[in-house]
Amino acid sequence: MSRSIKKGPYVHESVLKKIDAMNATNEKKVIKTWSRSSTILPNFVGHTIAVHDGRKHVPVYVTEDMVGHKLGEFAPTRTFKGHSGEERRTSLK
Amino acid sequence: MSKVIIGRIGAPHGVRGEVRIIPLTDFPDRFQNLKSVFIDEQIKLEINNVKYNKQFIILKFKGIDNRSDIDPLKGKLIQVDRKDVPPLAAGEYYNFDIIGLEVYNEKNERLGKIEQILKTGSNDVYIANNAGKQTLIPALKKVVTNIDIEAGRMDIILQEEME
Repeated sequence: MSRSIKKGPYVHESVLKKIDAMNATNEKKVIKTWSRSSTILPNFVGHTIAVHDGRKHVPVYVTEDMVGHKLGEFAPTRTFKGHSGEERRTSLK
Repeated sequence: MSKVIIGRIGAPHGVRGEVRIIPLTDFPDRFQNLKSVFIDEQIKLEINNVKYNKQFIILKFKGIDNRSDIDPLKGKLIQVDRKDVPPLAAGEYYNFDIIGLEVYNEKNERLGKIEQILKTGSNDVYIANNAGKQTLIPALKKVVTNIDIEAGRMDIILQEEME
């Protein structure tokens, strides 16, 4: 069953407080959180949030297309290392 | 590194010696113009025919004409020469070039060597290890200021953390 619309999206209180404080002062710091179930709101965009994956905090840069998703979706808890010599690319965002 | 992995040999396809390839590359179209590949870095196999089937690639190797000839190859990685990898756009790097780079911060202190790249769905994360101490580096332009593949060096400015 989906969450009641009346309640609005769930965001951990401390995450929201820190984001709002940074938006007010126009600061950009990495926010460390264990709250994987917090929903990404539009005012999170442009911030980097270090989401706990059970072992470490994975720094995730929030973009517009991530709004509405949960923070935990971007910090995988199981890592598949693959083969180091694969033809895979990476780029800076 | 002289060879780059582009796929893994899977199950046989049909009875005429065709084989299913699981692509391990970001450029699955590259198989279309492939003439030969390497297995175990030494055995060179010529390609007779290439077909695409769902997410797999069906290859027909020269000299392999029946299903049972494929059994010893099953599970092997197929490779190409390092010089044959497709060129990348500006600002893009191959993972194998990034892995092994030495990471330095703005004070020129060594933070470790990159040993893994994590895909998050947003930005990639480079994991640097310095004698057991891990540093997670988001692949962002504001964090990674310089990548010098030839010199084996990456310069970063880590953002301040808020607890």
